Amino acid sequence: MIREQRSNRGAFRKYFPPRKKFCRFCQKNIKEVDYKNVDILKKYVLERGKISPRRITGTCAFHQRRLATAIKRARLLALLPYVED
Amino acid sequence: MSQYETAFLISPNLEEEETSKIISQMLNIVSKKKGKMIKEDRWGKRKLAYPINKFEEAFYVFFHYEGEPDIPFELERHFRQSEAILRFLTVRKEKKENVRKKKKGIPEPEKTAALKEEEIIKTEEAGQEDIPSPETKEEEKEK
Repeated sequence: MIREQRSNRGAFRKYFPPRKKFCRFCQKNIKEVDYKNVDILKKYVLERGKISPRRITGTCAFHQRRLATAIKRARLLALLPYVED
Repeated sequence: MSQYETAFLISPNLEEEETSKIISQMLNIVSKKKGKMIKEDRWGKRKLAYPINKFEEAFYVFFHYEGEPDIPFELERHFRQSEAILRFLTVRKEKKENVRKKKKGIPEPEKTAALKEEEIIKTEEAGQEDIPSPETKEEEKEK
């Protein structure tokens, strides 16, 4: 079963290649991620309130680290939720 | 001397005079300790993402100042004493700019770089990719 799925996926990928992800902070040349900027931080949080992983968003390691601390600070000040149901 | 940013939440059930009184009190502390205010930001009442002490909203205030490290200490001591402050957070702003050693996100800003360097960068990028996409693998096989 698993093998079939994988082969299918490969074929699927051949016709619909995944778009290349890129770091949006590098693109705009932003160095620091501000914890007060809720609108940006919200884009990097999943619907349950979890920090979205790098492999989904395509953020670089440098900015992912800063993002994570910024989100955690925003949570402390109740700008972002710890958990959302 | 370093720059600090202190944020604090004032409980919403106080009247406007009282909140402004608290803010001016905190401003006094900064000026007394010879701190230099850079920016004072009041967001006003804002809905909280989750209830704190059964309050659904709070008054957000941000201080951005420069001075000795005893200023945030003194401010935080006052925050802990008063019951009107729900939360506070102090962050030190780094003066020196965070300079990245190498820029990977920007696609090849310098094309004049030596070939050897380019090769090194390419190999590094390949190694750092979390999940090598199946496409590339297939391509390699085809070759």
